Amino acid sequence: MSNADDQVGARAEGEMEKLLFDYPEGCITEHVPSSSLDRSINDSNYVDVQIEIPDNIKRKILPIPNLSEIDVVRHFTKLSRMNFGIDVGPYPLGSCTMKYNPKINEDIARLEAYVNLHPNSPEHSQQGSLRLMYELEQYLKVLTGMDDFSLQAAAGSQSELIGAMIAKAFYKEKENNEGKGKKRTKIIIPDSAHGTNPATAAMCKFEIVSIPTNSHGNIDLGKFKDSLNSDVALVMLTNPNTLGLFEQDILQISDLAHSNGTLMYCDGANMNAFLGITRPRDQGFDMIHLNLHKTFSTPHGGGGPGAGVLGVKSFLADYLPVPRVRVTKSPLKQSRNTPDREKNSGANNNSDDYDYDNNDDFNYYFLDFTKRKSIGKVRCFYGNFGMLLRAYSYIRAYGSNIRRVSENAVLNANYLLSLLKDVYELPYDRICAHEFVLSSRKFGQRSALNIAKRLLDYGVHPPTIYFPLIVPEALMIEPTETESKESLDSFASALLNIAKELREKPDLVSSAPHNTPVRRLDEVLAARKPNLRWSPSST
Amino acid sequence: MNYVPTTKKDEKIMLERIGVKSVEELVDSFRPMISNERLDLPPALTEMQLMQHMRNISKGNKIMRYFVGAGSYNHYIPSALNHLVTRGEFLTGYTPYQAEINQGTLQAMYEFQSFICLLTGMDVSNASLYDGASALAEAALMSASYTGRKQISVGNNIHPQYIEVLKTYCEAADLEITMNQVTQETACILTQNPDFYGNVENLSYISERAHKVGALSVTCVVEPTSLAIIEPPGNYGADIVVGEGQSFGIPLNFGGPYLGFLAVRSYLLKKIPGRICGMTNDSVGNRGFVLTLQAREQHIRRERATSNITTNVALNALAATVYLALMGRSGLIRVAEDSYRNAHLLQSKLSALGFQTLNNLQFYNEFLVKTPKSSKKILADLARQGICGGLEIGDNRLLICCTEMNTSQDIDDFVSAVAEKEQTA
Repeated sequence: MSNADDQVGARAEGEMEKLLFDYPEGCITEHVPSSSLDRSINDSNYVDVQIEIPDNIKRKILPIPNLSEIDVVRHFTKLSRMNFGIDVGPYPLGSCTMKYNPKINEDIARLEAYVNLHPNSPEHSQQGSLRLMYELEQYLKVLTGMDDFSLQAAAGSQSELIGAMIAKAFYKEKENNEGKGKKRTKIIIPDSAHGTNPATAAMCKFEIVSIPTNSHGNIDLGKFKDSLNSDVALVMLTNPNTLGLFEQDILQISDLAHSNGTLMYCDGANMNAFLGITRPRDQGFDMIHLNLHKTFSTPHGGGGPGAGVLGVKSFLADYLPVPRVRVTKSPLKQSRNTPDREKNSGANNNSDDYDYDNNDDFNYYFLDFTKRKSIGKVRCFYGNFGMLLRAYSYIRAYGSNIRRVSENAVLNANYLLSLLKDVYELPYDRICAHEFVLSSRKFGQRSALNIAKRLLDYGVHPPTIYFPLIVPEALMIEPTETESKESLDSFASALLNIAKELREKPDLVSSAPHNTPVRRLDEVLAARKPNLRWSPSST
Repeated sequence: MNYVPTTKKDEKIMLERIGVKSVEELVDSFRPMISNERLDLPPALTEMQLMQHMRNISKGNKIMRYFVGAGSYNHYIPSALNHLVTRGEFLTGYTPYQAEINQGTLQAMYEFQSFICLLTGMDVSNASLYDGASALAEAALMSASYTGRKQISVGNNIHPQYIEVLKTYCEAADLEITMNQVTQETACILTQNPDFYGNVENLSYISERAHKVGALSVTCVVEPTSLAIIEPPGNYGADIVVGEGQSFGIPLNFGGPYLGFLAVRSYLLKKIPGRICGMTNDSVGNRGFVLTLQAREQHIRRERATSNITTNVALNALAATVYLALMGRSGLIRVAEDSYRNAHLLQSKLSALGFQTLNNLQFYNEFLVKTPKSSKKILADLARQGICGGLEIGDNRLLICCTEMNTSQDIDDFVSAVAEKEQTA
């Protein structure tokens, strides 16, 4: 990490990277053949096909620039150098689990046989990918204790939507069957929850009941009991919660909910705290979503793609989105055989490759589109397969040692906390889970923002700020298990230094950052006078 | 394998500093604990073993010569693209909350938004949604919110899976879907162009129909290479254009992750779901980019947000931006013309063999045929040649697709595989 010191430097004019659209017209690289050329050379029986498109549907102007490949490569290389990722430095962005993304998983994800598989290809040509999805489900069941999984959701928030819809469908059916009781219209959500939770509830037209946090940083059990009545369909909790604290009363909360006929949903954004230590099912949850891009280290990509998977207990399995991946033994396989498959069936047996799992030669995987009580689909096809593949690799890499991940995530968080809590305020003084929340309120209003901006000068990504909402001037810090002690020491010393700067030279902090590609950006201007695109007339 | 860097020695120092004896003590309050000593997962693998294992599993897949589309299109991806999007600075960052150190992702988002607007003929675009199907659903929710109405009208042949996703979202939001019916309660008319069967149409009449009752006209573009040679929806009155951007440099990937996009007329700006990037200035007057209009979003507005979407598919939006930049106007037109020409070439050859084309309009790169005999048999014959011959749509109907990736050799092989069987049958 660089020593930030007093550097105050406006960016030199030429350092700014111009827009793609401001590059001069160039000769494009010829990536694909021109069909007429290709045919006239290769096909003696060439049948001329009218390329003439009727005038009422034909595009007249395509205002896209032609650029040379060298200009494009330099442009995006320059942009990348104005960017910060885990590969560049520590990224303790609370609630986002910015851990190292193993490079091997990128190589695996780009193996031709995975990356070029068409989702509408015949089932017998998809066996490898279907097997991966099936096995991933099995591993996730082990880790969560749930009975069934859907891998379809593109992100955690989409899993939440499925979860809320399942609750809606479950009670609707119950009403219809039992012909009694009124509609359950409410979802209980703690005041520390992620913004997606209430936003999801609202998308499903549920009413939100907010439960306050008690002085230990857990759900106020008394208020929870008071709020629980026959209107409540679902309790949506994050565990450990967004303060990085394990819900001590989780079993009691689940029991109370269940005896009220209410379902328990776990926002599994913080699963990195307890892999192999405790299972959401045993904590009393009926459903849990996992953000594979967090806990299972698929790269965040500057804001996605991620993947959300949803695990449920068996009594909710029929509500999951379709299709589901299933496996069958040889009899069905034979009935599903195609000539193509027969031809290739010997290939694996003759293979010299060492097969770590050669006991499932006869498994045939297939997609089951049977709807049962399914809430439907939330996206086209089967899920973000590319992310499922990376998560699978990540789980297999650690295998039965996976507990090491969470133990070290918790160790790192507590160590970092021990270095900081004398200088920054710790609103709930407990052993934390994989992350913790400090308050900088003693340094005044906007101090969390200023600290975050000043951290940029130290070459560190700042924590999440102003979240959870219940802590004023919140700094939400999640180091993850892949930072070394040295890296944590260095991050702590940056934060301690900034505390000193806040006392001695507050202007330096409030005017930060000073040595980033741009200085502090005017968000108000951006919102007041939206400039959201380049257009031919804007230059 | 292990990605944790901490040594035993460091662990000891850290535990001392925290004031506990062991890591177990730190996690002791996480109850109930998993009872069995060993977790029922396979043993850990080294990097070498992992690669071997994953290669072995991949042998269960068979890559074919695809003549199938229906929501996923096999286009060529320029080599430079992967080299750029896998740079760690792009790959391993997250949503650019700290704009000052994420100008790369942000500027690329701005350029992505610009490209989408230029291609669709719309005023404003967001920075991406999950995929085309969920983007269509978001457009319906957005229309309902804008008009205060509860009916969503489906206007033509939309991808059946897109309709299923739409139904899911509408069910959640208590919206009603009507097929082809337009009333004073209609929030929007949804159309797809080219439609599910590849038909291309000037949809001005749909937009007029929508606007007459105060509804919005929404066009969904699932095969966006068509936009290089087909009139953009902005020119036929669309208020919202959504779609799937997979064709722009995103691999087939067995169906995901893909790239949803959403672009609108400027009066709908405040109703847009998801991230939007805007240009602004920094404190010393340099140009820069930030996420903007965040008052629409869940982390600020919670239950009053326009959507619950958070993570989108930024890296795929970057890939599409790189793709469009590398291909350029000329490359895009080549891709589109080649896809169009290949499809029409194959269609004319199949017609001669008794395959009846069922499209009632001009088609782009997909067409529906009635097969002269069992479509199952035809697909099996083609599969033996390593050809995936289309998507079965009910009995003896095939939806066939071509792109620039189908060489003349592929097309000839397709035709002769089918023709031979014709003669011997």
